[in-house]
Amino acid sequence: MLIQIAWRNVWRNKTRSMVIVVAVALGLWGGIFSDAFMQGMTEQQIYSSIHTETGHIQLSQKGFLVNHDMQLNIRSADSIKAVISNIPGVSAVASVTQLSSMASTSSGSAGIMINGIDPQQQSKVSDINRQLVTGDYFKSDRANLIVIGQQLADKLHVKLHSRIVLTLQTTAGDIVYGAFKIAGIFHTHDSDFDKQMVFVRKNDLHALTGFPQDAASLVTVLLQNTDDTKKITATIQHKFPGLQVQGWMQLSPMLQVLSGTITQMTIIFVAIILIALAFGIVNTMLMAVLDRTHEIGMLLSIGMRPSKVFTMIMLETIFLSVTGAALGIAISIGTVSWFGHTGINLSFIAEGINALGYSSIVYPSLGIDFYLALSVMVVVIALIAGLFPARHAIRLKPAEALRGN
Amino acid sequence: MPVIEIKELTKTYNETVVPVHALNGVNLSFEKGEFTAIVGPSGCGKTTLLNMMGGLDHPSSGQVIIAQEDITKMDTSHLVDFRLRNIGFIFQSYNLIPVLTVRENIQFIMELQGRSKKEIDERVHYLLDAMGLSDKINVRPKYLSGGQQQRVAVARAMASKPKFILADEPTANLDSKSTETLLNLMANLNEKEEVTFIFSTHDQRVMDKAKRIVTLEDGKVMNDSNSGVLHETA
Repeated sequence: MLIQIAWRNVWRNKTRSMVIVVAVALGLWGGIFSDAFMQGMTEQQIYSSIHTETGHIQLSQKGFLVNHDMQLNIRSADSIKAVISNIPGVSAVASVTQLSSMASTSSGSAGIMINGIDPQQQSKVSDINRQLVTGDYFKSDRANLIVIGQQLADKLHVKLHSRIVLTLQTTAGDIVYGAFKIAGIFHTHDSDFDKQMVFVRKNDLHALTGFPQDAASLVTVLLQNTDDTKKITATIQHKFPGLQVQGWMQLSPMLQVLSGTITQMTIIFVAIILIALAFGIVNTMLMAVLDRTHEIGMLLSIGMRPSKVFTMIMLETIFLSVTGAALGIAISIGTVSWFGHTGINLSFIAEGINALGYSSIVYPSLGIDFYLALSVMVVVIALIAGLFPARHAIRLKPAEALRGN
Repeated sequence: MPVIEIKELTKTYNETVVPVHALNGVNLSFEKGEFTAIVGPSGCGKTTLLNMMGGLDHPSSGQVIIAQEDITKMDTSHLVDFRLRNIGFIFQSYNLIPVLTVRENIQFIMELQGRSKKEIDERVHYLLDAMGLSDKINVRPKYLSGGQQQRVAVARAMASKPKFILADEPTANLDSKSTETLLNLMANLNEKEEVTFIFSTHDQRVMDKAKRIVTLEDGKVMNDSNSGVLHETA
């Protein structure tokens, strides 16, 4: 019956209880939604980084990623790809020949990174082909086609079908030039990527530079499940001990740091909100106890143990807080799901956030584990908040309380 | 053997500049089945005496012996259990739990005692029948009249099968008809169940029903109809 009494007591003063219920609900909704927003941004950035830039796992010769020395290439790349393709959990494998170069037009020049690819293979590990704003992704069989980023096109003042000249070094150390026609222009949400990365056919690049036909600078692996990255990285490393095998966390350490920091920031943010709410809960419960001094005196008089009075007040505090939390979480699930589906368009500040590598459309996202952790936090906060009013209640002396003192 | 024995009971409140001697060496005893009214002017110590008998407050000195146990020597936790098992309370302003129905108000105290559901159900129905409130079993107190609420309070006090019931001005907020009804019901229960009732009251109608009247003045027993004499003068 104690639970029944506590629950009904919560609703004795509906206005007072609803004020704190709504405060808890709105406070949590604010915390949860902003967290979902940040998590969504980070997850999108990680997804985009994996599916546009790095893949889940990359293989390279040790030292290649430091100075992009073209001599540090992977021989027999095709046989390595074949082995990796057979590992369970691997979705696709592609090889890339990556060389640094200079792109020039009559209007200007820019330092770039050329990616020599097999377009069909590459489209399985990277979604660049789906981010074209104009042109196509190597549909024509013509030689010396190039796909570049919008930012680079703007910088060089070129457009679709314009020609740009790439200055490269051959494997023998000679300088060569190649004129490439722009077949497509892509736009990702990472402006640095758009400025630096260009894509050409591997065969064209190898022919120009003398790069060995069976070699590649990188082998990129896309997995079916991002959570398997560590496990499959270890498996590949075991099969190819002479190569450097790195997961996306090592390739983009900032993303991993960001991901971890966002979680910690969120917990701190929500904890601050909950602590602020705790003061409101304490105030409400203390008012409730003071209003019922006479009644609590009666309960103690007729033989209700102080421990039971204490439990009753604690239960009331928990019910009050959990009701607000349930409402807040329900609203949050609704809004996070809605905006997770439709996205939040931040195109009015797209330039700024693209420069930071974030997409201008954010899809808020939050895991069930966060909601569970939050529920536990609310109960803990309620328990702490209930201590003071409950302690006040059991310190009442029956005779004095009955007099209303 | 008396149900309650009070020996040399004093209570002094030191919260004011001048100490207030609310009880000043009270000696009384109450036998099983008594229907006693404690009367006297306001501030004479009636409520203080009831609080001492109910273990709600600690005396400055003296003893309150109930069922051969001196409750003035009990710690708070034992006192709570002792009250639950032995004493019923009726208050001037009814003091029912507003969020509970009539049935729940009565069964609550029995649940605190750990009684079985069957026993609780039987007792609730018996008491509500005795109080003429069977049709109000699922009604909350705010929908009852003052007289009806006080009858529920009597049923609640009786529910725990106490050794005695302390009633502090139980009719003070009731009209004549409700008072009459309540007193008849309590007198009935006193007869049938031999429960000891001790009232503090100003109400002449309660005094008229009482089998014994104890008059207090300035914290002393000035008259006790059992002895028929004015016996405390010191």
